[in-house]
This record gives sequence, C-alpha cells and structure tokens, in this order.
Amino acid sequence: MRETVLAVEGLTVYRGTYEAVQDVSFSLEQGTDMAIVGPNGAGKSTLIQAVLGILPRQSGEVTILGQSLSRSGVLPMPVRQQIAYLPQNFLFDRRLPMTVAELVGLGWDQLGLSLPWVGGRARRLAIRQALVQVDATHLMHQPLSGLSGGETKRVLLAYCLVRPRRLLILDEAPAGLDIRNESDFYELLHALKQEQGWAILQISHDLEMVRKTCDRVLCLNRRLLCQGGPDLVLSPDNLATAYGSEFVRYRHQHSEN
Amino acid sequence: MLIGEELSAEITRVVELFQYPFMQRALLGGIFTGLMGGLLGSFTILRQLSFFSDALGHSALLGISLAVLLGLNPTVIVLPFAALFGLGVTYLLEKTNLWTDALLNIIYSSSLALAVITLSFVGQYKGGLNNLLFGDILAVRAVDLWLSSILLLACILFVGLTLRTQMLLTLHEPLAKARGVSVSAQRSAFIVLLSLVVGVSIKAIGVLLVSAFVVIPACAARLMSQTFTHYMLLSAGLGALSAIFGMLLSALFNLPSGPSIVVVQLALFLAAIAVPRFQAAR
Repeated sequence: MRETVLAVEGLTVYRGTYEAVQDVSFSLEQGTDMAIVGPNGAGKSTLIQAVLGILPRQSGEVTILGQSLSRSGVLPMPVRQQIAYLPQNFLFDRRLPMTVAELVGLGWDQLGLSLPWVGGRARRLAIRQALVQVDATHLMHQPLSGLSGGETKRVLLAYCLVRPRRLLILDEAPAGLDIRNESDFYELLHALKQEQGWAILQISHDLEMVRKTCDRVLCLNRRLLCQGGPDLVLSPDNLATAYGSEFVRYRHQHSEN
Repeated sequence: MLIGEELSAEITRVVELFQYPFMQRALLGGIFTGLMGGLLGSFTILRQLSFFSDALGHSALLGISLAVLLGLNPTVIVLPFAALFGLGVTYLLEKTNLWTDALLNIIYSSSLALAVITLSFVGQYKGGLNNLLFGDILAVRAVDLWLSSILLLACILFVGLTLRTQMLLTLHEPLAKARGVSVSAQRSAFIVLLSLVVGVSIKAIGVLLVSAFVVIPACAARLMSQTFTHYMLLSAGLGALSAIFGMLLSALFNLPSGPSIVVVQLALFLAAIAVPRFQAAR
C-alpha cells in the first residue's frame, strides 16, 4: 500500500466571481506521476495554486502528507519543506542582483528564522549537486539576468531538486526547453519517481508525452471530467468531451501522418 | 609653503571640531542612519518602494506638526505615527489596486498640504519649518543616538534572521507563498521597520532628503555587485561611508551636514556609473 501524499476533496476555487474550479476530488500516492490535462482556461493552474495555498479556496479540503492545508493557506513548515513548485511563468525583475547559486540555495534553506551562514558546506554541496543533475554547473556563478528561457527553467528545476522532497508540482514545466533538454527532463522526473519515490503532479499540454510517461491523468475543464490511466483518459471519446470533437479529429489526422 | 601651512591649519581645525561631543554625536548618528538606510534601501529599491520613503518623510512632517499643535513631544509622536502611517499606506496599496507611484504621490502631497496647514495654526514653531525640511544633524542628542542604535540592531536582526525569506520574496512572490511564507506579514514587518528608520532620521536629515539615504547608496551598490549578499552589504557600507565623508566635507567647507552627505552619495553613485572597473553588472 503506497502512502497518499496529496488528497484533494471537493475543492472549489473562485477567481473573482467566476467559479474556476468546481468540486474536484483526487488523490496522489508516492512514486506516482500524475498529469492534469485540459483546454486553456480549464482551471489547471488555479487548481494547483489552490493546492499550494497560493490562491484561497471557496470550499473543500486539501491534505498534504497527512496535514490539512488551512483556509489561509498555512501548512506546518516540515511539510512545506517536502513540497517543490515550479511555476508556469517565472517572471522576475531582471535588474535584481542574484546569481544562479544564490537562487538554487534558496530552495535548500528552511525559511524560518536562522542565521544566514547556517548550513555553509552542506548547502554549497547541495547546490552543486542539484546543478549537476540539471546539467547546469557552468551557470553556477552567472547572474540570473543573463539566462535564456531554457536555462532559467533548468535552474528553477535545480531549485526544486536541491533538497529531497516528497511532492513536486510542475506547471507546464518543459515549456521553453528544446527537444534534447525536454527528454533529459522527463528522464530526470522518471528517476526521481522511481528511485526516490517522489509524487509528481504536473500540468501538461503534450498529450503524447503524458501517454508515455505518466501513471495517472486528470482531465479537467473546470469540473473533473475523468481520471485514471492515460489510455482511458486520453481516449478519443474522453478527449472530445474535454477539448471538443474538432480537436480530436485534428489530432487523429496528425498522428496518422 | 603657504598652501601647506593653510592645509595643516585646516586639518587641525577639523580635528578640533570633531573633539566636540556634538560633532561626535552627529558623526555617529550619520553613520547609523547611513547603515540603516543602506541596508533597508537595498530591498526597498528592488521592491520598487523608493517613493515610499519620500511619502513617509512627508507623513512624518505631518506627525510632527500635529504633535506641535497638540503641545506634545514631537520625537515621541513621530515614531508610532510613522509606523501606523506605513501600515495604512500598505493597506491602501493592497486595497485599491492602483499604481504604486500614483498612490504614493497622492499621499505625500496631501501629507505636505495638511502639515503646512497644521503648522499655520501653530504660529511661530521654535524648531522652524526649515529644520524640519532639511534637518539639523548637529542637534542630535544622546537619546536620539540610543534610539537609532536600537533601531539599527533591530534592522540587522530582522534582515539577518529572515534574509533568505526576504530574498525569495523580492525575487518572486508566488514562489515564496508556495514555500509557506506569509507575504503580508513579512511585507508589513518590513514597512514598519522602514517607517521607523525614516521617522528616526527625519530630525537629522530632514523630510526632503531622507529618501536619498534609502535610495542612492543602494543604486550605487547595485551597479557594483553581482551577488545579492554583496549588494546588500555594499549598500549599507556605502551608506556609512558617505556619512563619514559627508561630515568631513561639511566640517572642512562649513557646509550644511545633511546635504553634504547626500552630495557624497551622489559622487559615489556617479563614480559607480563612470568607472567601468566597478561595474560588475551589465
């Protein structure tokens, strides 16, 4: 019996007066890679931001590693430390003076009250190892301002990997990576899942990749349309319900070519 | 020979001047303010709150005028007033969803208007509007020094113990939220601290120049550094350095102290732009 890392029960989230996510329930076990698919505006990002406590929820319960997320988005710090999140658009002020090593180090730190030099050697080692994992050691002392989109993604992934975690939440993570880096990226996710038992929740638009790499799929269009293995959820009938029948006809013509 | 003698006479005069307790207090007060302004300023400019210190300065003027009108001690009133005002402005910024610079402009011009009207009821205020606007660093008393040293300690503890949180918050708010950082609590704590620093510094530097201490050393430090830690420490260091050289400049040429310090800050900033070797950042 695998441990449940994340349990969501009847989650409803409003954006302004608009009900962006309606009554969604699912659970995610350790060592499982779950994809959330659905058309634009389906509430995928809203859903994971509510799970993380970034957005407030209207109703429902979110439980992570046995601890429930409070209404105001508070989770005990030791649980927070087990979660990593890679946002879709990492927009930051490029005039900010910060190097890659400094950013990755922020992923290692416990964000309570602590002296800034705590950790020293172990911290530096963890930063280096995380950068090795994403093949970015050469960027270590570069300022963030000079990174390309793909490099930024890899560095952010190192920020997530710099400490062992139990739950990794990715919002369209590989967007911006080229093909070689994208396949490296999926291999890395696979290794984290298999070898360290990470649970992964990712939003994806790449249905082929989802079919190949994910264990479970949630199909979302404000409501949860269906969930299960990729073959079930990504069947033409289910896709037609989510994206409309035009989309499915288009995709089928493409995959036959 | 004559020039040499004149120079040594000048130096003797300046050295003698710094024997006076009031000059020592002024120098120490300047260094404390420079350190605090530089340290908090490094975060202030990155969070695009530069105008905030201006608005706070003007609001402190309003606080002082109200205290004078009501016959209370301005030093006692100005700190809680500044802290409450800072929190009020933060609330307003979150509530109205208007542009920060526009909202801050409303606040500082209206504070100034209300302060001038209040002062007009007071009649002859013995401190004088001039002192409030430009400050009088030579009037720094021992109790003011105590206040600013306690506040400096509070700033160092706050920034030191929450450094990583502040860095993440400055870089990307959602990332900080996902790590469980209470953004509004951190923001309020920072604003209160910044308000207190501005409130404490008003007496020495004045309403009009106080924001220079927050903004100029930080901008100069930004031009000269790549890493965040280096930038932050350099900003505080440049703040202190400009206070020392500003006081010397003021003693040598008999210039007003606050403006002399700001002129030195400007010189450092221009040097950071002009000397390419300094420019770590591209």
